[in-house]
Amino acid sequence: MFVPFDSTMLLAILPEILLVVLAGVVLALDAAWQPEKRRWLGWLTVVGLAVAFILTATVSQPESEPRLLFGGMLRDDWLSFAFRLVFLFGAAITTLFAMDHEALGRKGEFYVLLLVSTLGMNLMASAGDLIMLYLAIETTSIPLYILAGFITTDDKSTEAGFKYLLFGAMTSAVMLYGFSLLYGFSGETNLYLLAGKLGELPMPALLGSLLLVLVGFSFKVSAVPFHFWAPDVYEGAPTPVAGFLSTASKAAGFAVLMRVLLAAFPAALPSWQGLIALLAVVTMTVGNLLALAQTNVKRLLAFSSIAHAGYILIGVVAVNAAGMNLGMASVVFYLIAYLLTNLAAFGAVATFGRVSGSDEMDAYKGLSRRSPALALVMLVAFLSLSGMPPFGGFIAKVFVFAAAVEANWIWLAVIGVLNSIIGLYYYLTLLKYVYLYRQDNLEEEQKPLPISRPYALALVLLVIGIILLGTAFNPWFEWSRTAAASLF
Amino acid sequence: MIPVEYYLGLSAIMFVIGALGVMVRRNPLVIFMSVELMLNSANLVFVAFAHAYQVLDGQVFVFFVMTVAAAEVAIGLALIVSIFRSKHNINADTVNELKG
Amino acid sequence: MINFSLQEANPMLAPEYIPLAILFILATALGFLVVIIGNLFGPRRPSIRKAMPYESGMRPIGVGTRRTPVRFYLTAMLFILFDVEVIFFLPWAVVFRELGLSGLIEMGLFLLILLIGFIYAWKKGALEWE
Repeated sequence: MFVPFDSTMLLAILPEILLVVLAGVVLALDAAWQPEKRRWLGWLTVVGLAVAFILTATVSQPESEPRLLFGGMLRDDWLSFAFRLVFLFGAAITTLFAMDHEALGRKGEFYVLLLVSTLGMNLMASAGDLIMLYLAIETTSIPLYILAGFITTDDKSTEAGFKYLLFGAMTSAVMLYGFSLLYGFSGETNLYLLAGKLGELPMPALLGSLLLVLVGFSFKVSAVPFHFWAPDVYEGAPTPVAGFLSTASKAAGFAVLMRVLLAAFPAALPSWQGLIALLAVVTMTVGNLLALAQTNVKRLLAFSSIAHAGYILIGVVAVNAAGMNLGMASVVFYLIAYLLTNLAAFGAVATFGRVSGSDEMDAYKGLSRRSPALALVMLVAFLSLSGMPPFGGFIAKVFVFAAAVEANWIWLAVIGVLNSIIGLYYYLTLLKYVYLYRQDNLEEEQKPLPISRPYALALVLLVIGIILLGTAFNPWFEWSRTAAASLF
Repeated sequence: MIPVEYYLGLSAIMFVIGALGVMVRRNPLVIFMSVELMLNSANLVFVAFAHAYQVLDGQVFVFFVMTVAAAEVAIGLALIVSIFRSKHNINADTVNELKG
Repeated sequence: MINFSLQEANPMLAPEYIPLAILFILATALGFLVVIIGNLFGPRRPSIRKAMPYESGMRPIGVGTRRTPVRFYLTAMLFILFDVEVIFFLPWAVVFRELGLSGLIEMGLFLLILLIGFIYAWKKGALEWE
């Protein structure tokens, strides 16, 4: 388990080292370069992230047996490897979306904060110790607070950042109190050593600290009842940031949730399964029902992302202690599909909002005539979100529900399916605006919607990814299964 | 020597005061102070148990919590200043551009 | 030196704390006593001047709660951020010799990252007063 220090351990944290170096370089160049040259900072970030992605995928693959590195601070396994690649990809796509945003594109700080936040997510996915976990969560959240409030001249943006900070600071304080109790009851901060000591605890003490810790995690994955912030923050934050928040940040939250529940709380498995099942039902239903009433696309996507957190929680419930079933693998697969799909949806909204200056549904009337390509991207993204074949979202939902049935949580799967049908309604409503409605007294063809090169590149990559996940899903699923198996 | 349960009790009281402060008070600066109180209640537990078990992990944790708290407050102040510039008011009730 | 053991039978009667407790009780009692005696026996002749806020014997200038310029916030923020880092130096310095070269290198990296942030703040003019 524990490995003494040697230089090969540095290879295991190569992606993190590269992120720190890249962030330092971008920050230094931002201070040194003239404003007109700073546009290149975006491309520098994208290229840097691509290099980090390739190097991580090839050089820093984990060994077959999970290892605890740096005194147990980090766990080097396939789960952290898979999530790191996902985060690096998500950050690169977000950078592409931000590059032509007039308030973000030329600001070196934006890229630095994005990189630092990605660094935090990487560490979240591999943290094996409460200290590392807390630091990683804060390293992720604190830059995100600033990113949400990045446009200081826009009241909505600063307010979004402020609300996010208030909710985030409070829930993380509650979580920290839970950590302190866990430490108090066991005398250990390592997640894997905690489990043994916690088994001897009386149930109320164990469940009490579990509840406190879950508050912090529910905030990160925006599960009901800690979802209030999501619609406001997504609406106010710059659209690329909202996309990053709803995908990478949520995936990081789930990575932590899975690891902590399985590593530290195996003693309370039936109790937390019931708790998470309840959370899943409430989250799905509330998210979907509130989404029905929305007229702003970013708010709609916010409630849809809450609902998706509910679906993913079903996969977390459907686990058994031996870890030989679908549960966790379906969660990893769902997160990958959801990241691609939701980034595409937010990317399309960002592309549209940059030209039209509005995120209201009414503004989307006649989009298919103004830009057939963008309308097609929205079609793919929203059908995938609603869970239609042949897109990634469909396969992901099938796996999650199958996992629930396999683990004898049939009623949970039924509620999930019912919720997907509600979801279908509001996704199709938006597509109706895009494809069927026309703007009054206006020739849409007269107002074309230019898509700049970074947006086009990112959207094409995402659409290819969504279709690949929906058709040739087998290698991806095997990958998710390997990642999930390393949790146990 | 004071038994560790007393520290636990004190920290629970601090935590509840902090949590109530966050929910009841409307001035962001006071809310931040209340959050700080919650963090410090956790710090107290860490230090008390680190001493009780004679292992240093808890004390190390406290160092990092202090740093994180400072970073959080710095960003909170920055956001408050930028909200104040446009609204000339920082009451949490009047910051309601976004419904919800 | 205080005895740090948990096996003490009655924690409240630890002998080291008795002088401290006496001091604490006396100080509290004295504080109350002075205020109570003053209120009981002192003459009361209220006037507007006495009710005014005390500002070193002068007439108060302006209102008590003045707004502080935003500049101070920036300075305070920078101070907090760079000040807190010191808490990592202190434990490091204590075990500096045991850590050897690797400890020095690690602190160098830590400082380097801090330095980049500092240079950034400097270049952006966060240290200028005007």
